Amino acid sequence: MEVKNIKIIGLGGIGSILTDKICRFMTFGKFANNDWKITLIDGDSYEQKNRERQDFLYLKNKASSKADELNDKFGENTIFHEIHEYINEDNIGRYIVDGDLVFICVDNHHSRRLISKYAEKTLDNIIIISGGNDYTDGNVQIYIRQNGKDITPSLTSYHPEIESPDDKHPDDMSCDELADSAPQLYFANLTAATIMCWVFYVIISGDFNYIAKSEIYFDIKLMSVISKLRAVY
Amino acid sequence: MARQKEYTKDELSALTNTELREICKQRKIPGMSKKRKDIIIDAILLAQGGSPASQSTTTITKTTKDVDPNEPLTAATFTLNSILTKPNAKEGDKTTTTIRVSSGAATGEFPVTGKNVSQVKSFLKEVLNISKMASPIVNGNQVDDNYVIKEGDEVEFLKPAGQKG
Repeated sequence: MEVKNIKIIGLGGIGSILTDKICRFMTFGKFANNDWKITLIDGDSYEQKNRERQDFLYLKNKASSKADELNDKFGENTIFHEIHEYINEDNIGRYIVDGDLVFICVDNHHSRRLISKYAEKTLDNIIIISGGNDYTDGNVQIYIRQNGKDITPSLTSYHPEIESPDDKHPDDMSCDELADSAPQLYFANLTAATIMCWVFYVIISGDFNYIAKSEIYFDIKLMSVISKLRAVY
Repeated sequence: MARQKEYTKDELSALTNTELREICKQRKIPGMSKKRKDIIIDAILLAQGGSPASQSTTTITKTTKDVDPNEPLTAATFTLNSILTKPNAKEGDKTTTTIRVSSGAATGEFPVTGKNVSQVKSFLKEVLNISKMASPIVNGNQVDDNYVIKEGDEVEFLKPAGQKG
């Protein structure tokens, strides 16, 4: 499958790791070409307190910091765009469009729901790879829509906690709430990012037979990764 | 209710495969539609409580008709809910006792054929760390709590998605 526009939404523990891997692969790997671009989207700024699990060089807006770093590494062959906003109801139509491949690396179900519902109701062709983790476990979901038809279930289909999130959108959180996030393990972020890379590879390789198993769970303590069948209703 | 006829090995050997499969169907002996004649005969003899033609000893087994899906699943019944499917196999391998059950990345093979998913959820909640609100999924499809697990099913209790990132 040809991928031209990659959007990475959320540049925290998962997104800051994932971005580098995807860019390296798309710039120098088997699928490299000069006809794709990547957009980094995050309204948050990198702070040193997150250095144990977030991969940034500069203390500034995360999208800006990561774009600067990636430009140094891959800028000769790749175009980077940076958006210094959180995705919300007002701007989602500007930043996510038909044909995109979107990585969701956010830290709240509210944003996952917003993006999934928008894709489901508005777009005919989109691929969403969404990752999330708790302290030592997590999951990756794949939502593919082709020609107006769901090929795999949306992010909310099997997950009532995403359909009716009990968390807040980052735009609605106070500074204290934003700063007071639950502790995370770097290796959990890394595992989620790695599985998202696996999924990305499977999709761009065209191996759609595997996509019936459109949700993958991992658990570091159990040392286990399992993919799950998900029917589309 | 009329008692079922008890066949001898010679009587069964004289029947055709179609007739033997019909007996299996009537007696709810699963998995015999494509098996060889000698395997089907062994299965019928075992289901009658006798010895298989090819073995001198028997294994304690049940067929699906013996399993009450609503009976509470206890440690004792857990080990007895095996389903006879391979009577001609070597001792210890005669039954398909296990169903893959998972929740998130926790998984295991458990002898829960014939039980309903709510019983299994209750019994395995600590083993697989199944959350109270987890809904059951069988072979990728959402099912209700009364779904009775069949041989070959893959059962999952949905784990909530990871929230952070």
